[in-house]
Order: sequence, then C-alpha cells, then structure tokens
Amino acid sequence: MSIAYITLESWRQLKNLRTFIFTFAVPLVMLLIFGGAYGSAGAVDQVTGLPWIVVTTVQMAGYGAMMAALSQAFNIVTERSLGWNRQLRITPLTGAGYLVSKVIAALATSAIVIVALIVISVLTFHVQLPFAGWAMAALGLWAGVIPFALIAVLIGQFAKPSYAQPLFMVVFFGMAIIGGLWVPLQIMPSWVSNVAQIVPSYWLNRLGQMGAHQSGDILEPVLVLLGWTVVLAAFIIWRYRRDAARS
Amino acid sequence: MNQTPVIQLSGLRKTFGRLTAVDGIDLTVRAGEVVALLGPNGAGKSTTIDLALGLAHPTAGTARLFGGDPRLAIQDGRVGVMLQGGALLPTMTVAQSVALIAAAHKHPLPVAEALERAKCTEIAKQRVSKLSGGQMQRARFAVAVVSNPDLLIMDEPTAAMDVEARRTFWQSMREFTDEGRTVVFATHYLDEADTYADRIVMLSAGSIVADGTPNEVKAVVSGRRIRANIDGEWTEGDEAELLSLPGVRSVERRGEQVTIVSDEPDAALRAFLSRYADAHDIEVTAHNMDDAFLALTEASREKEGVLA
Repeated sequence: MSIAYITLESWRQLKNLRTFIFTFAVPLVMLLIFGGAYGSAGAVDQVTGLPWIVVTTVQMAGYGAMMAALSQAFNIVTERSLGWNRQLRITPLTGAGYLVSKVIAALATSAIVIVALIVISVLTFHVQLPFAGWAMAALGLWAGVIPFALIAVLIGQFAKPSYAQPLFMVVFFGMAIIGGLWVPLQIMPSWVSNVAQIVPSYWLNRLGQMGAHQSGDILEPVLVLLGWTVVLAAFIIWRYRRDAARS
Repeated sequence: MNQTPVIQLSGLRKTFGRLTAVDGIDLTVRAGEVVALLGPNGAGKSTTIDLALGLAHPTAGTARLFGGDPRLAIQDGRVGVMLQGGALLPTMTVAQSVALIAAAHKHPLPVAEALERAKCTEIAKQRVSKLSGGQMQRARFAVAVVSNPDLLIMDEPTAAMDVEARRTFWQSMREFTDEGRTVVFATHYLDEADTYADRIVMLSAGSIVADGTPNEVKAVVSGRRIRANIDGEWTEGDEAELLSLPGVRSVERRGEQVTIVSDEPDAALRAFLSRYADAHDIEVTAHNMDDAFLALTEASREKEGVLA
C-alpha cells in the first residue's frame, strides 16, 4: 500500500473547494436556525441529558460529516466514467489500497467539517461544555463517518452517472431522517426509532452524543458500525478488482 | 538476451454473452519487438489487450507477461499502458497526474524525466481539460512511462491526433524503443503499422489472420491495380470480357472509371489496351496495406461463411 499515493489523493480531494463549501453551507445554516430556536434558553434535552444546543450541534456536525463523506460518491462516479479506475488498475495499487485512499480522503474532509461546525457553534452560542466533551464528540462523529465513506465508494463503484444523483438522494435523505440527524427521533413515530437502531447514521449521532457526555456504552455502536464497515469493504475490494474490465 | 517471451498468449478466448470478442489467439512477443495489432473496430484488439494485462479474465486460455501472471508484471512496474479513452482527471494538471500515478508505483522515474520523455515539459502545468487531442495522448504517454517499463502496451495511441502530433508522438516512441524495449500498439491506421512496427499482427473477428513483417503481410496480396477511364456504354459483356483478361481477380466499375486487379498486370494491361484503345487516365499501382488488409479480412470472413 502506497503512503505517497494516499497522501496525494487526499490532498487532491481537499483542494476541491467548491463541493466543500456546499457540503458545509447546509448544516451551518440549519445549525444557526435550529440552534437559535432550541438552544438559546439553555434548555436541557430529557433523553440525552445534554443541553439542546449541544444535541443540535452534534446533529448538524454529524449531518455535515456524513454529507462530506457521501459526496465522495460523485467524484468516484465521474472518475470511473472517465476511465480513471482503469488507469489505476494498471498500477500496483491494490483494491485495499484504493479503498483506504478513498476512505482517508473522505475522513479528511469530514474532519474539517466537524471541527468547523463545532467551533462556529461554540463561538455563536457560547455553549457550556468542557473541551474534553467537544473533543470526544468530534472523535465519536469522526469514527461514525467511516461507514459513510464506504457507502460513498460503493455508490460510486456501482452507479452509472445517470442515476448516481437519485441514488445518492435516497441514501442521503433516508440516512439523515431515520438516523435522527435532522429532527430528534423522539418526535417521530416509534417504528422509526426501532429502524434507527440498525442504520449507521443513528449511531453516528449517538457516538457524538456519548462523546459530548463523556459517558455511555460504546460497545453497541462500535459493533454495528464495524459490521457495516466490514461488509461494505469486502464489496468494494471485490468490485474494484472487476471494475477494470470493459463490459 | 532474455529468452522468456515478454508476452505469451495461448489459446486465448473471450466471450461476452453470445458475442465472441477474442476467438483463440496464440501470440508470442519477444524482447525488443515493436508489434502492431492491426484491425478494424470490433476486431478484438482492445479485448486482447485487456486479457494480456489481466484486466479481464479469459473464457479460455492463458495470458502471461514476462513468464508470469500479468498482475505481477504490473505490480513491478514493468508494463506501461496507454488504454483507450480519457483516463486522466480533467481538474488536474499534467504534472499532477503523472505525480499521482508515480506515487502508486514502487520505483517510478522522477516526474520531470517522465514528462520530458513524453515531450510534455511545456504542457506540464496545463490542466488536462485544456489539452488538445495530441497533447492529451502525450500526457497519457508520460503517465505510461513513469514506471520506467520494459514493455509498453498502447491501445490506439494516435487516435485524435493530427499529422504533426502523430509525428512528434512516434518520435518519442522511437527514443523509447531504441533502448531495446518492447512495444505493442493497437491501431487501425495501416500506414502507421507499416511505418513504425517491425511486425504486424492482423486481427479480424477475434482471430489472427496474418502475422509477419510489413513486407510479408503486404506480399500476401500480390498483383497490381489497373485503373482507367472508358467512355461509352458499359454492358455485362464488357465486364465478362475484362474478367477473362490474364490474371484478373476482380473488376469494378464506378461511373467512367474501371478498376481491374490482376496477378499478371503487364499482360492484362496490353490486352486491355488492345480492346479499349480509347481508354484514358490510366494508372497502375502496387497494392498497399489497405488492399492487403481488405483481402485478408475478406478471406477470413469467407472462411467463416463456409463454416457457418
């Protein structure tokens, strides 16, 4: 596996500022609106025991990070349609190396989104939470983003340019709503909460909340996210090896 | 000299559903050869290249590079490849593209050297999206040579190039082959195969229909072409008469112009002129690659017709 390649590839993705700004703008606006609506009075959420503004910030940072990771799918669809993956197949880059390069690039972008949204929230709303709480929340969200980076690669590998967009929308909105990233789950029907237990976006959010709390049982989220990661990674490597052949 | 063949394809077959793209190819390429894979679109050139590189799995047969699995040769950076299609990312510059691919290799050339070999130094800072067809191919050539390969495989390298760009391209290719490396390129430009390859392998409908030096391949079709303009009515009788001239293989008429292909052109021309004294604009030409190609691919098509 080539460190040099992974570094250059991540740097290349980071420099793609245009998509970056859009990834960032939507959760930022939502944070400012919802944060102002729920959080100004310093009210505390009964379910998580965290101030509402912290819950909202974690939600929006998670949402932004998920969007940053998932939007990799478009880059990959474009790259594939240009024949870039065929080009890569005639280098020593392995399926695993390809996967790691894409996941690291996605993680680098989402890290910036997470940190930026938390910093803006702290500066705007003067939230009372220890630094360690924010740091753990960011770390939890960041780890929770890994399955989304993989989902993005998988969409990128399977989707044709013509239906990548709708496929992305279905996955993205589905994950955002069912995982409780837009609206807290407690105001939705109970079946949504039950389904939420198996989607990675729910655990992405929970990991962020647990981090902010600096407590909680992380075994379940880790197992669910690990399960997603392993299955998705296996699919991606299998697909990369076949992808180079012309059909 | 190394006795292990650089490329060895044995009994290679590839079918996509009911379509047979490659139909039993045996081919051995030795170190230092410059081989042209010549054939029309759909002859199986690209699929053969994919199979040789291990990018596609053969339905039957084997492909070996440097005596081993193609993937191993690629991992060692011994194979440089220019595949068909865009293949570079439009938002990157030429130098960045070369650097990114170089980073994936274990022992790449310095980026500047690869750029120079491909005559890309001047366009190094240009974005891929701004390149002309010829510049694009040069950039892809730079990417192909950055691993410092012993074998270069190129699929239609001069497609979308103008005459000047083609000349520049083949010049840098010459520098590459002068160092004793092996080159295999697919093309449907007959003159290109004739000029730059020292061996031509002709493909038609997934099979090799000819394999030899350009002269050998051209000699497959002997005879010359006589072309002349005849005034007046053209009847069935005229055609039958021309066909009975010495060594005549075919007669074709377009408007005033008649084209006769004959294995005994001198005798045929004498007889022709004694019959059509008013014939004018007479032209006698040797067969070129195009004719060789048409004759060979037609022969293979006829053979197929018999089998079917």
